[in-house]
Amino acid sequence: MKGLRKVLTPFAPDQSGAVSVLYELGGIIVICDAGGCAGNVCGFDEPRWFTHKSAVFSAGLRDMDAILGRDDRLVSKLVSAAEKLDASFAAIIGTPVPSVIGTDYHALRRMAERRTKLPILTVDTTGMALSDEGAEKAYLELFRRFSKEKLPVEPGRIGVLGANPLDLSDLKAGERLTATLESQGWNKVCCYGMGAGLDAVRAASSVEKNLVVAPSGLKTAQYLEKTFGTPYEVDNPLACRLLPEQDWTGKRVLVVQQQVSANALRAELERRGAAEVACATWFMKKTALQRPGDLRLTEEDQFEALVRDGGWDAVIADPTLWPLTEGCDVQRVDAAEFAVSGRLVE
Amino acid sequence: MRTAACFTAAELVQRGREDLPPELVSTTHLIYSSPATLAFNSPGAEGFGVKRAGLAIPGSVMLIVAPGCCGRNTSLISRMPEYDHRFFYLTMDETDIVTGRHLKRIPQAVEEVCKSLAKRPSVVMICITCVDALLGTDMDRVCRRAEERVGVPVRPCYMYALTREGRKPPMVHVRQSLYSLLQPREKKGNVVNLLGHFAPLMDECELYALLRQIGVKTIHELSRCKDFDEYLTMAEANFNLVLHPEARFAARDFEKRLKIPSIELTRLYQIDRIHRQYQALGQALGARLDDSAFLEAAERTAEQFARKHPGLRFAVGECMNGDPFELSLALVRQGFAVSEIYGTLSAENFVFLQKLAEISPETRVYSNLEPTMLYYDCSEARVDVTIGKDAGYYHPGCPNLQWNQDVQPFGYAGVRAFYQALDALLSGEGKA
Repeated sequence: MKGLRKVLTPFAPDQSGAVSVLYELGGIIVICDAGGCAGNVCGFDEPRWFTHKSAVFSAGLRDMDAILGRDDRLVSKLVSAAEKLDASFAAIIGTPVPSVIGTDYHALRRMAERRTKLPILTVDTTGMALSDEGAEKAYLELFRRFSKEKLPVEPGRIGVLGANPLDLSDLKAGERLTATLESQGWNKVCCYGMGAGLDAVRAASSVEKNLVVAPSGLKTAQYLEKTFGTPYEVDNPLACRLLPEQDWTGKRVLVVQQQVSANALRAELERRGAAEVACATWFMKKTALQRPGDLRLTEEDQFEALVRDGGWDAVIADPTLWPLTEGCDVQRVDAAEFAVSGRLVE
Repeated sequence: MRTAACFTAAELVQRGREDLPPELVSTTHLIYSSPATLAFNSPGAEGFGVKRAGLAIPGSVMLIVAPGCCGRNTSLISRMPEYDHRFFYLTMDETDIVTGRHLKRIPQAVEEVCKSLAKRPSVVMICITCVDALLGTDMDRVCRRAEERVGVPVRPCYMYALTREGRKPPMVHVRQSLYSLLQPREKKGNVVNLLGHFAPLMDECELYALLRQIGVKTIHELSRCKDFDEYLTMAEANFNLVLHPEARFAARDFEKRLKIPSIELTRLYQIDRIHRQYQALGQALGARLDDSAFLEAAERTAEQFARKHPGLRFAVGECMNGDPFELSLALVRQGFAVSEIYGTLSAENFVFLQKLAEISPETRVYSNLEPTMLYYDCSEARVDVTIGKDAGYYHPGCPNLQWNQDVQPFGYAGVRAFYQALDALLSGEGKA
């Protein structure tokens, strides 16, 4: 039955993806909810929350705020917070409540900007899409708002888009990507939102190239290419460490990961002699990144059938999916996806 | 330099309950989200929120009908063995919201859930969230349809965070839902229900013994019911003891529907107040409760602790089994100091603050939820021990007694257990 989950719990929602992008950038982040969404985002989907303080707030909406559309109250609360806190911008993140009452984010932004004198970002997430869609919206909003100026290109400087704990399932992804890219000869790596801050975003036009490590970064890379002529490349150099050392020759393998990681794993498996590698994802499937036959998964029974009927030798996926593969004679290779299970890569 | 907003107990009492500073009134500001506030923002993530509470009936399962974001953190609970195969989800999309078509799919989803289980559930709880609150969904009607289709009781469970500070917040509603399956039965004079908590009182709680003194043979608690049949016998009780204010509406339902009256008791840590409360309970029941042995044991434990650990300075939070203002008052009356309280003032606990202000006027009060808590600096306070998960977060270097266990401390036994746990903590025998 469409939408019915009997084994898996829901995946990270779009609002969590949006917060993940902005978390380290020094802004006031207001989750436009009654409290529960903020608790879910921080307490479950933002692993940095337990160790790294950030100005994340719930709007604390109550029924009459929603029914009467009292956006002015939210703006007043934001003004009060902006007076008491050091912040370079504020972001308002959507949830199901503003989605249902049809909040006018454009008006909200203008009202809040006028009164706080801070740059305001609004991300119209709904809580009904998945985290990568929210992250995509947040990246785009962030770079459109702050990367205004065309700066001279600095040789050896590279930008990384799509790096966030939800898409890469690794709290050290920023450091690892930086080390990897430095070893390839780049001398300044700007891993936006995981190491590089708002100043790096403002100077985004000065990079020689952007590297897109997850589908959530693709639209922004295309925007930066169109606006500043910055070329981009798509690859996740960290993905292949998920592969166990073994003989893959002649194997038929199913990879279930976010699309950029899945493609990187496929390339590596093919290099190691795999006979056939199919990619599937629970998240966005970008046409530009897909091969014929790649799948977007939405339902539990769809995944069950794919594994049961596919005749795979191995399946590489988040371990919470394994109960759906009971009785299938396949090798199960653990590859945690934080947005699926809330587990980080070990 | 930015600092966290705080007020002394004396300042607050001088201003009065009607003139609390906006920093301590959560509806006037954004709600800060830190690990200290997780229990407020996401009650399902720890302790008993609506989701865990909704499954208190033995053999029940829950279908969460909501946008994916509302069910996300349930995976934390689902990992607990007692909730294995008890949570199911029907995720909503934007078309569902516009057309309301998800409501038509609920009976089918309930049927599929029931078919997938090896054993027929005793009841299916349908948990709905803010979206349906705004849509004005008539969930009672939807539940009736589902019930007709599967032949199993189906009940609504409202996780409406939007109504958290309203007349009937979600945790009040869920308590009503849980007892709504009880049908009138013949009363038994020696049966009592304890209402309010989703986990039992600690086994050694004197309340059991005191009730037995006056002839009570059976004491029901929802969490101790072994199966659905035992749960149904709660309708035979002679009276209810309400141990949590959020169970008041459920108690009223008992009174109205099942003709079972109730008496409310408060969890306290001031030993003399506990004694007075038991005396009042005895009067209400027309019997004398002899609590002298329990009273003496609690006093002895508290005094021994005070002698062993004199002059301790506490910071007390609200993420624990107690009211932070009442517990602070108890600690100060026992001879300790309380430097800081992180709590939410209400009409009910302001009275404790008034007493506290008389004997500890300089105790500082913070709100966990206020935005400037981002700048809280623990070096500003001298604290030896922290109570509550939130207080532990603010003072990471201090010994911390979380005191937020599921099994509920109550009465003299609660006081004893509290000081014993503190002693174990300070004697290096482990973290409670």
